[in-house]
Amino acid sequence: MNAHQSVGIVMIEDDEGHARLIEKNIRRAGILNEIRHFTDGTSALDYIFNDPVGPALSGPALILLDLNLPDMSGTDILTRIKNSDGPVKRTPVVVLTTTDDSREIQRCYDLGANVYITKPVNYESFAQAIRQLGLFLSVIQVPDLDGAN
Amino acid sequence: MATPRFLLPPEGKIAPRLTALLVPGFLALLAAGGGAAWVTRQNQVHTRAVVHTYEVEKAVLEVRRVIEEAEATRRGALLAPATAAYREGYHRATAELPQRLVTLARLTADNPRQRDNLAGLQLQLGALAQRRAETMALVERGDQRAALAAFRADTEASSMRAVRFLMNRMAREERRLLAIRDRELRVTERAFYAVLVLAAVLLAALAVVALLTVLAYTRDLARSRDATQSLADSLEEMVAERTEDLTRANEEIQRFAYIVSHDLRSPLVNVMGFTAELEAATGQLGALVDTVEAEAPQLLSEEARLSAREDLPEAIGFIRASTQKMDRLINAILQLSRQGRRQLAAERIDVAQLVGQIRDTLAHRLADVEATLDVAGTLPEVISDRFSLDQVFSNLIENAVKYLRPGVPGRITVSGRREAQRVIYAIADNGRGIDPRDHARVFDLFRRSGAQDRPGEGIGLATVRALVFRLGGTISVESNLGQGATFTLSLPLTLESQRPEGQGKNE
Repeated sequence: MNAHQSVGIVMIEDDEGHARLIEKNIRRAGILNEIRHFTDGTSALDYIFNDPVGPALSGPALILLDLNLPDMSGTDILTRIKNSDGPVKRTPVVVLTTTDDSREIQRCYDLGANVYITKPVNYESFAQAIRQLGLFLSVIQVPDLDGAN
Repeated sequence: MATPRFLLPPEGKIAPRLTALLVPGFLALLAAGGGAAWVTRQNQVHTRAVVHTYEVEKAVLEVRRVIEEAEATRRGALLAPATAAYREGYHRATAELPQRLVTLARLTADNPRQRDNLAGLQLQLGALAQRRAETMALVERGDQRAALAAFRADTEASSMRAVRFLMNRMAREERRLLAIRDRELRVTERAFYAVLVLAAVLLAALAVVALLTVLAYTRDLARSRDATQSLADSLEEMVAERTEDLTRANEEIQRFAYIVSHDLRSPLVNVMGFTAELEAATGQLGALVDTVEAEAPQLLSEEARLSAREDLPEAIGFIRASTQKMDRLINAILQLSRQGRRQLAAERIDVAQLVGQIRDTLAHRLADVEATLDVAGTLPEVISDRFSLDQVFSNLIENAVKYLRPGVPGRITVSGRREAQRVIYAIADNGRGIDPRDHARVFDLFRRSGAQDRPGEGIGLATVRALVFRLGGTISVESNLGQGATFTLSLPLTLESQRPEGQGKNE
């Protein structure tokens, strides 16, 4: 990731297994940033907007978002993030989900998703995709919180 | 929803009812006509009777005149015997009398009373004629005195009065008969008028009843027509409701298939992911076992060696194969569900061109298996969904290429014809064929037939059938083992445009 090693990764993923596999593969890609994992939308949103060390109040972040969550739809979270007033709305959101329906993909981009990645069932492809995401994360610029203000 | 009321028209037997009314009506008319005819006949009879009466009266008068004339001329002859005219008149009258009497007898032959009168009259006339003849004989002899004496005796005998009396009686009798006949006629006429009035009343009553019947029937008809109309309306409503229910149920199934297949993928990612992790770990473990075996074989048990080298890789291999298969099955369901949700777009399709494109796509495979794909004759065009139709033809042709008979150059032929508002396409091959027992099965999802020596999950024909159904068509197969197969598609010439609201919900 960019120079600030403080950019945190917020992973919103209800499936512990998926979360673990994603984390493993991100680490294998050499990304060492802190990963905060949430299994439901409510606590994730609370962290993003209200936590003293969360993206809204503390530092730049990157959000990995699954669409199928137990308490709310991933698109709701996406809407909340992208329609918020603060710097959070500039936070890159990578939608990482099993859904590969074209309508859903379209909708996510319409709502402001920055990247949409389908989790391949085939693990080799899955690992490959996450590692590539890691490489991508290592080069993208995340907006600075201070700069945003 | 409201239960439709099955209001059937009343048992509408109007014809028998009208017949029941018309028959008495005609009978009444016939009675009136018959009455009129009868009265007319009675009138004729009466007229004849009147004429007859007058004739009898006339005959009586004639007889009387002749008798009186004879009497008058006899008296004239008595008073003036020299005058020949009296005598001639007398003879003429006397000669005329029998003829008049015959006429009278003929006219009154039907009446016993008149006959009696006439008999009496003839008796009197006989006596009178005899005395007259005597008197006249005396006159002609010139014995006027004796003649006058005889005349006087005559007067005393008063035959002439009796004759007059009888004649009057005869005339009266005829008058009496005429009066009777008059009365009879009046009675007849009254009866006729009564019949006429009765018939008129009857006809009027029947007309009213018939009118009421027709009105009631018309009202019933109108009511039953309304009932039929409302029934038809409610039927339409029912059909619309059912269609909506079906559409909803169909959408529900589509959504269900989608969600199920979609949510099944999520755990599968884990199974496959961690299996891969496990495999990687097994690799590490295997390397360790190798090292231990090389450096400190006494530490390595046989079980540990087998576990690391055979059991674990074997287990992982099965898990992988099964999850991969499961992934394919789930994808198949997802694909089917997605196709069911796709919006169809009808357009004119040149099927021959479509088949040509498929041939280009499959060119390498066709060349590899030495198969040919031909179009027989001209294929009718169809207005349908291009993507679906392409899938259908691709699947069928790929199947034909896939299941050829070893050693027999494949010949795949696409033919088609138009039948009324449908188009029929046949895709025939000379491949291995399908056992007739499996003809229905092959269209089911995940079901296959024959030797399982080709890759596949049993999805193609299920997809084809689902697509064909969606296009409003049907598909059937004719085949025997080892004799090739012919898949016959029947599609509507024009795909009916869909209701747009049934599409694109809840992705």
